[in-house]
Amino acid sequence: MGPENGEEPAGRRVPSPESCTDPYLRCAFNGAAQTALGVLGCALLAHSPQGCEYLVNNAFASQECDYMETVTLCTKLCVDEIVHGGEDILARTIREAKDLPISALFVISACGPEIVGDDIVAVCETLQPEVKFRLIPIPSPGFRGSQYDGIDIALDTILKRLAKKRGEKIPGSVCLIAPHANANPTWPADLTWVKQTLSRMGIPVIATLTHKTPLSEIENIASAETSLLLSHDAGQKAADYLFAAYGIEQICKGIPLPIGMTNTQRWLAALGERFGAQKTAEGMVAEGEKMVMATCRRKMPMARFLYRTPAAIVADATVGIPLVRFVTEEMEMTPELVALYTSQRTVRELLDKELKDLGLNPKVVYGTDVYKTRAGLREVRPKVIFGSTIERHASEGLPVAYVVEVVRIMRQFRMINREYFGYTGILNLFECVQNEWTMAWRSKEKRYEAKW
Amino acid sequence: MENESIVFHGNLQQLLAKVETGEMIPKLQASHAPMCKFFTAYYVISGIRHVVPLVHGPTGCPLYMSDFVRTRECCEMRGVPLEPTACTTLDESHIIYGGEGKLLEAVKEAYAKYHPDLIVILSCCCSGIIGDDVESIAREAEKQVGCRVLALRSEGFGGDFRSGYEDAFKLIMELMDPPQKKMKGTINILGARWGPSPTEFNWDMDEIERLLSEIGIKVNAIIAGGCTVEQIRHAREVELNASWCYDWGQKLGDLMQEKFGVPYSRTGQPYGPEATKEWLLGVAKPLGMEEKALEVIEREMKEVEPDLAYLRQALAGKTAIIEISEFPGPIRALSLARMAKEFGARPVVINVHPYTIKERMPSIKYILETGLNPEIILTKGLFRLGSFRSSKETEDELEAIVRMYDNVIFFGNSGRFPPCPVVNLTLMNPAFQPQYGFKGIRNIAALVRQALENKDLPRSRLFRGMLYGTGKR
Repeated sequence: MGPENGEEPAGRRVPSPESCTDPYLRCAFNGAAQTALGVLGCALLAHSPQGCEYLVNNAFASQECDYMETVTLCTKLCVDEIVHGGEDILARTIREAKDLPISALFVISACGPEIVGDDIVAVCETLQPEVKFRLIPIPSPGFRGSQYDGIDIALDTILKRLAKKRGEKIPGSVCLIAPHANANPTWPADLTWVKQTLSRMGIPVIATLTHKTPLSEIENIASAETSLLLSHDAGQKAADYLFAAYGIEQICKGIPLPIGMTNTQRWLAALGERFGAQKTAEGMVAEGEKMVMATCRRKMPMARFLYRTPAAIVADATVGIPLVRFVTEEMEMTPELVALYTSQRTVRELLDKELKDLGLNPKVVYGTDVYKTRAGLREVRPKVIFGSTIERHASEGLPVAYVVEVVRIMRQFRMINREYFGYTGILNLFECVQNEWTMAWRSKEKRYEAKW
Repeated sequence: MENESIVFHGNLQQLLAKVETGEMIPKLQASHAPMCKFFTAYYVISGIRHVVPLVHGPTGCPLYMSDFVRTRECCEMRGVPLEPTACTTLDESHIIYGGEGKLLEAVKEAYAKYHPDLIVILSCCCSGIIGDDVESIAREAEKQVGCRVLALRSEGFGGDFRSGYEDAFKLIMELMDPPQKKMKGTINILGARWGPSPTEFNWDMDEIERLLSEIGIKVNAIIAGGCTVEQIRHAREVELNASWCYDWGQKLGDLMQEKFGVPYSRTGQPYGPEATKEWLLGVAKPLGMEEKALEVIEREMKEVEPDLAYLRQALAGKTAIIEISEFPGPIRALSLARMAKEFGARPVVINVHPYTIKERMPSIKYILETGLNPEIILTKGLFRLGSFRSSKETEDELEAIVRMYDNVIFFGNSGRFPPCPVVNLTLMNPAFQPQYGFKGIRNIAALVRQALENKDLPRSRLFRGMLYGTGKR
């Protein structure tokens, strides 16, 4: 079975040819908000009607902001501002916020004001002398694309406006790009694992774009020697820009992110090789694999009983592509459907390479939506789905035994962030399978009543 | 009696006057951002079974609906099957050249994919501003598919959140056929949202349906809480329309009365014995079932008599400070004020945002006509930049206000830490739901008992620190 959509250019997300879709991804405005809210000590002003504030709230939660530290504001545009323009109300709101103890105010604009031509850049330039903090306008209307396009738009603005033109290179250093373009609902744990790994290898992190990132880190990003992209869905443009503007070399390019033993080993080896830390990398691999095997020996994951069970993977490319190998190799299931939210050429190339390498030929759907996923599930009829709560409901009526919720989880709550990257990540994914296995076996009703 | 954080202290009538003259409309543009018109219109439309809400816009608009309303609220919590949340995914080229062509194709595609009973096109900011003629496309598309196709102008900037509900209810009237017969002893319940399952709090609606069923009253449709297109078509055949909350049913109730002559029972939320009696009789009397209703009421009252006696004894002479900060709106606070008064307490409602008074003007006026005009206090914290929920300033102000009165009991939720007994009326704890009707009286009595009997137990330093920081104990 081959892929469902045609060829698309690299780095650009071509809209679906369908007229009617049931999308998984939010809009560019949401992605821009998610990126801006990853900068520490700042506030965000949505120049939008009040409904768009909910997309900001979602971004706020995704970046794990604290409402005692981060303020979000909204101009709440109504008909008057759409007819007569909303620049005055934007200026008024910025003035109202002038006493906020922040170092920057990101002003992001939604569809309405962008269509009617509000010039948020000009308003910010005019108001800049009146406020103590920096004003950073990011025109990011929803119609510019998906949340991943919004992440790219915001990263572009942030880098061009905030990064100093040059900085003394710090040898063997790295900057991290787009950790938040990751459908693991507790993705900050993936970022933490990456930072701990780099620290063990003695690799300094100059900046993270973006998660709890101080402005000073972004200002000094030119000092980084290398960049590490933590998403297959967004951030490639930022990596390309950093290379073009500052000669920052992108590393670990073209290999899946470190989910599962082989992917982690490969990713760590690439890092070790680039930074002359092969021995440390090998040690981490040996130690990590030993820990995973020893833990599994004690806990006995039930995934081992699912040998060659037909599986579907429905996720973003960041989690979905590495899962293909993890599900096939480590869990010994057989992916028969891979449906990814995105469809750019880099995603296709990476997945194609993985499928060829593994000798798999599943049905592949790029840029999937809920309808296409359901159609794919109907056609392939997998027994296990690695996906979200949506697939649990989209697979009703089909003989699916387990829906392992790994992305966009609504059924289970996580108080502690759990990574999918690295060795503990393997155990976390096994745990997801185990809990689903347990629930599938759980008695739905009692056969008789007890006497007491 | 006054303190410097108080910006308004008077009664509901006086607050309404200040809102009407524009004196109390919040000056800070950035404070208080409820849902937009598009969201609320979507809520109503998605409450019809087998409907495709087709959002004519980019993907951001339907996504909140898809994640929160459809997957979590409907599929996960209310046993509703996965229904589509369709979207035309407008991009820059459609903004420049228009999206009508794509919309027409999308309707046909939606019909082919989902075989719905109804397609409702919902415009959003983009399609509204560029001037796509969604109504004409709906008319054209209807000729090409096998179901009704309606269009709703629901641009987010096009009105406050209430206008989305009202316009959607108004649109639903287009589906109502002329009556072929009268359905004896049958009503519609109007104003439900968050479908397709009855209203946002199932337990309250379950209690209402239980009581109606005891009296022998049938429900044709809960509009739009999980009703079918077929039920809506027959909606004009009922004897009466009612709503569990005067506010939410009001617009559709009035319109159906005016246009179709179906009477509408104007009653408030059934909190406490008097409001519950009034609600049931408000429905039963016009149907000629008053006698049976009185029988049911008498029987139910007897069953909750120990709870009523306890509430009278526990609340008599107390000052009930009432604050609804969760799903904030004035109607529930005012219903609780009425109940507190009925049990002998002096109700003082705090921090109902003037914005919410403005949005519910007709209902507020009706409540005043019924004679309810409680004391209201608004504080500075309500008008600060950002969200007013979980605000340390409003918490500090609440604590100061509680100290101004003697013998106080707080009706709100456990997210507040005033120096008095706290009646935790959160809607997020199913253990004490419903709060409506006679079962509600039992639950409220249990909550008041917990508050009073445990008033000296230590409150959670952890939760307080979580909500308001550790700056002040």
